Amino acid sequence: MRRLSRRQRIAALVLTAVAACFLTLDLVGSGLQSAHSGVRGVLGSLYRGTDSVLGPARRFLQGIPRAGSDESRLHVLEQQNTALRKQLADARVDRHTAAELARLHLAARSGGFRAVPARVIATTAAGGFDYTVTIDAGTADGVHTGQTVTDGIGLVGRVLHTDSSTAVVLLAIDPGAGVGARDLRTGQLGVVTGDGRDGYKFRPLDPTAKVQGGDRLATGPARASSFAPDLDIGRVTAVRTSADGTTVAAVTPSVSASALDVVGVIVSKNGSPSVAAGGR
Amino acid sequence: MTRARVAAAIAALLTVLVLQATLVSPLADAVPASLPALLVAAIALADGPGAGIAFGFSAGLITDLGSEHPAGLLALCWMGIGLLCGRLNAPNARARHDIVIAALVCGLSTVVTTVLLVLVGADGASVTDAVRYAIPAVLIDGLLALVLVPLVRLFLHSDRLRAPRPVLVLGEAL
Repeated sequence: MRRLSRRQRIAALVLTAVAACFLTLDLVGSGLQSAHSGVRGVLGSLYRGTDSVLGPARRFLQGIPRAGSDESRLHVLEQQNTALRKQLADARVDRHTAAELARLHLAARSGGFRAVPARVIATTAAGGFDYTVTIDAGTADGVHTGQTVTDGIGLVGRVLHTDSSTAVVLLAIDPGAGVGARDLRTGQLGVVTGDGRDGYKFRPLDPTAKVQGGDRLATGPARASSFAPDLDIGRVTAVRTSADGTTVAAVTPSVSASALDVVGVIVSKNGSPSVAAGGR
Repeated sequence: MTRARVAAAIAALLTVLVLQATLVSPLADAVPASLPALLVAAIALADGPGAGIAFGFSAGLITDLGSEHPAGLLALCWMGIGLLCGRLNAPNARARHDIVIAALVCGLSTVVTTVLLVLVGADGASVTDAVRYAIPAVLIDGLLALVLVPLVRLFLHSDRLRAPRPVLVLGEAL
């Protein structure tokens, strides 16, 4: 170990004494405040100037240890974002469903019938028909074959067959479906048959009946139709009279078959079962 | 002391102060690694206790005046580093030897400085932290010394910055 020379020892002692003086001065009074602020100002501007150059490199280096955790955090946030989007979409669907159910409830109350709400869970061709849907209500819910299905406003179709928890509904627009109908303007009775995507065709029972565009058709009347009465079927858009005098009207459905979601199966009308036998 | 050495000392001090404030302190987080203290140690190990004491005191005092704590504290501690490392200066010592000494002395100095800061009531200083971060500080100081010590040795052994040695005049000796 190297020994200190005499000069170095004296210098060390003097500088220690000077440092002690500085310490005492700074601890006891505020004699060095101006020196402090002056040096801080100079060094501060030096630091700021340098930081503008070295700052990006420092921030890059500071980010390296957190890169892994940032990635996993990003993954968690993405998952949360997806979950929140799903919740939002579900909430929209729920609001739509609630509105449809409310409409169904209102229609049931005003029409004096009881409807079992159900959701369309599949759209398939079944039982030899082209236009059928499957709903998530069955015999366990009181749904039986032949019952009328509505969306709360208009006619959807009738129950074709059931099991305990689901039922197949034949849509009224199926070419094989027929509904007893009444022209609300004239009171003329007739038969509405499905016409697939084009809607319905209405043939009045009286060949001389005056049917015109804009006429509204409804199911019924009671006991004359296999369907629950007074459900809106649609609106006449065109009338054609053939050479033999038969009148056929094209009808636009009041229910869009492609937008079915929540429907109601009318299980009773004024306390009596609404089961319609027959009628294809 | 030549003008070139004074200029080099000022430039080196300002450089390490700036690097300490903008890179080392933010990156080392709570670990009190000190680049200026390492510079003092490196100079003392390369040039002996005289240079170490003078540079340690000056650098410490300037840093003190630029800080919140009372002036004289770092001047005292860094002068101690210069003194100790200067005494441990061995002619023809390998850089590896100097790196280890510099890191250990600076680590020790960190603990002593923190204890002194606690004694003078400086904000944010605690003995627990000083003890807890002593080993991490030595490790970081060691990493910094890997670069700094060889660099200082290179500069101080150059012709322009070499310490003036006493010249033996044959006539006087006789």
